[in-house]
Amino acid sequence: MTTPALLPTTVIGSYSVPDWLERARTDYHRGRISSVQLGSIHDVCVKAALKDQELAGIDIVSDGELRRDNDIDYVLARLPGVRIAPTTKDSAYDYFDAYVDAALPEDDPPELGLARDYAFASAHTDRPAKFSFTGPFSLSRRIHNHGYRQPADLVRAIARLLNAEMHALAAAGATILQIDEPFLAGYPDEAALAVEAVNIVTAGVNAQWSLHVCYGNRYARPSWEGHYDFLFPAVHKAEVDVLALEFARKGYDDLDLVTRAGWDRTIGLGVIDVKNTRVEPVDLIVARLRRALRLLPPERIQVNPDCGLRHLPTPIATAKLQVMVHATRLVRDEIDAHARGTDSGAANQEDRSE
Amino acid sequence: MLIDLRPTNRLRGKQPIDTRAVLGPVLDALAGTDLDLGTVRVVCDWVQYRANFRTPIDLRTILGDERHGSGDRLEIALDLRQAAAIGPAQCRSLADAVLARHRDTPDAATADLYLEPWGPTSQSCLWGFNALYWRALELWEKATGRLYEQALPGGESDARNVAAAREMITDLFAVWDALAARNALPEELYVVELGVGNGHQAKVWLDEFRALDHARGGGYYHRLHYLLCDYSPHVLEMARTTVNDHSGHVSAVVLDATRPGVALAFLNFKVFLVYVSNVYDNLPSDEVARIGGSAYVVQSRAYLPAATAAELTGALGVSADGLARLIAQLLKLGPELMAEVAPDVFGGPDDVMHFWQAVWNGLRLAERYAPLHGLDPYEVAPGVSGEALRPLLESGEDIRMHVSNGAVASFADTLRLLHPYGTLVAHDLFVTDVDAYRRLYRGPGKYEGSVVNWVNGPLLTAIGRRNGFDVTYQPFRHRSGTNIVTLTARARD
Repeated sequence: MTTPALLPTTVIGSYSVPDWLERARTDYHRGRISSVQLGSIHDVCVKAALKDQELAGIDIVSDGELRRDNDIDYVLARLPGVRIAPTTKDSAYDYFDAYVDAALPEDDPPELGLARDYAFASAHTDRPAKFSFTGPFSLSRRIHNHGYRQPADLVRAIARLLNAEMHALAAAGATILQIDEPFLAGYPDEAALAVEAVNIVTAGVNAQWSLHVCYGNRYARPSWEGHYDFLFPAVHKAEVDVLALEFARKGYDDLDLVTRAGWDRTIGLGVIDVKNTRVEPVDLIVARLRRALRLLPPERIQVNPDCGLRHLPTPIATAKLQVMVHATRLVRDEIDAHARGTDSGAANQEDRSE
Repeated sequence: MLIDLRPTNRLRGKQPIDTRAVLGPVLDALAGTDLDLGTVRVVCDWVQYRANFRTPIDLRTILGDERHGSGDRLEIALDLRQAAAIGPAQCRSLADAVLARHRDTPDAATADLYLEPWGPTSQSCLWGFNALYWRALELWEKATGRLYEQALPGGESDARNVAAAREMITDLFAVWDALAARNALPEELYVVELGVGNGHQAKVWLDEFRALDHARGGGYYHRLHYLLCDYSPHVLEMARTTVNDHSGHVSAVVLDATRPGVALAFLNFKVFLVYVSNVYDNLPSDEVARIGGSAYVVQSRAYLPAATAAELTGALGVSADGLARLIAQLLKLGPELMAEVAPDVFGGPDDVMHFWQAVWNGLRLAERYAPLHGLDPYEVAPGVSGEALRPLLESGEDIRMHVSNGAVASFADTLRLLHPYGTLVAHDLFVTDVDAYRRLYRGPGKYEGSVVNWVNGPLLTAIGRRNGFDVTYQPFRHRSGTNIVTLTARARD
């Protein structure tokens, strides 16, 4: 499959988690089923998620993060030097209590298993597969830190461990990687540190890099409120190609803000509200894209939902993706027609909303 | 045979139950039948509500599951309080009667007047009576000569408690101060009250808010939007008048407490405090049970016992069917219109009020257990599948508990309104430990003209948790000797 040059569609990362999968995970955490059985369930789920995305017409797919009980624990529990106590929990969505008692051991870092996850996903799709993971700043916020006098040093240490795993991912063939920082909006003064850590993670790894910053999607709720002005100017220094942001839920005023701040690379444009089960009408998504096209050329827009689809029921999640793909194709056609001189052009049309 | 005696605390103390006197006659009656006694359950409750929907001895069918080839079983339900009051001879006679009726006409009509077909209890017409009570509260109070609040333990609603209001406001100020320090406090500060009563709670809260804000030098009161929300325009108007002094900051919104998000969707993730007082216990509820490892929903059927039905048909000069029609009309039209549409039966609204009270006093619920084929097809509330019940149903031995469907619907829908730093505070009758359902009767009871069920707190906790909220319960701290519990829900992490 060839990815379209204009307005490629993708997902942020996570895919719908059915009730029964949530129950299976919780059963695992309570010791009722084995890791072997759960792993087998996850394999089937990942294949199904890839198929759903392919059928929806998504250009760049993901494994749906379906092996992960939440956005933190899967990676955090694998980092050397991170102590989890206890390792059982009532619900898979709950966070572990994680502790760092001493500096993280960074010599000869062990594989975290992310490269293996990527390899499984890419082997089961003919489309480009993005691999997303939670970034060092957000991971650090869930750690009781007794190992570093300066919290920033913990962030940097995690970043170095992740960088080693990113090299393994690249070796496994990953070419599209994404760092998620769902906690950053709650700590706007820490943007520079988060960006510094992002650059540690990406160092020497040849891939298309995205940075996803939202206002949180824990339990389908925002964890924070505010505006994206806190990212600037720090984010200019981030060694990433795409900045994937949440707009559909909050409105598109912040897109003006981002472009005014001088972001000159690609924007991952959130056009689907993942905190609302209402499936957006096609013309609303078209209007959102047209509005973005007034500010950005189509070469610099990637089309995606606001955030992961984890909390949406599967039929809703697939319907939203289908609408997103359909709307994007309509706008691509408008752009093509405009380029051929047969239409007045998408960017000049009036928005329906927002 | 399994005998489940739930109120074990009644076996000791100053006035212990004479279990032989109440259980003995029932067991003797069972022994005199040809039932397979190994399949019979006898469950004993202590129904603390003097006015309730039970008779001293009820018989319930546990419907078999055709898929498993299992047949029907029987449950004999004994209200120890009523049974002890009538004595052993009458207990035996009642037990013989219900067993004979089951043997002779297991599913046929009896002289009792059934008002509806079998269905989940939340669909029963008893909730129609409950709604009618709140709709025509003024008439009920006039007919009984007693105001609702006077009927409450303590003589007034705990919602009016000044100290409780002050505590909530102080907590709110702390959250707002912290957000303001981060330049993250929105300009508009929303507070929502669901179920406003006469507006006195809102007045206490707003008066305190203004005073405390002024004492701090002001800043928040002028940004405050207090939304009074109730399903009754009449009640809202009354409440709005009560808080007229704060009119610039108060809006009145008509809404269904079980679906606040419908009217307040524009406030999703924006409300800092939602306050709910004595609403949840009065919303429709099913009951579910786990019996012998299988899950059941309790189906019920409202009826008037034969004696009550005969008394009313005689007094009104109508047939049994005519009586059933009058009751249905009463629930639809209310007492005032009823007097107009049936002038040949009722001399005026006062007669209708007597009729309403007589029907309400006599109303009973027949019950049976229908098997659930998986929990997920059973909808607790919109968007909340029966899977939410699993941890509670599988928490130990057999259990029967409320689903609190209306409360769950309201609670889950309200959580969406809350700002990331918002709080839901509810004062109500909560069961806070699932084991309590194995020990104590928690409703339904009759409270004046309304239905009261304790609310399934562990279920709300599980649903809150799944939605990212920590839910805590504390006994209401500002009045001693009350059963009222304070639920607080806040976003976790």
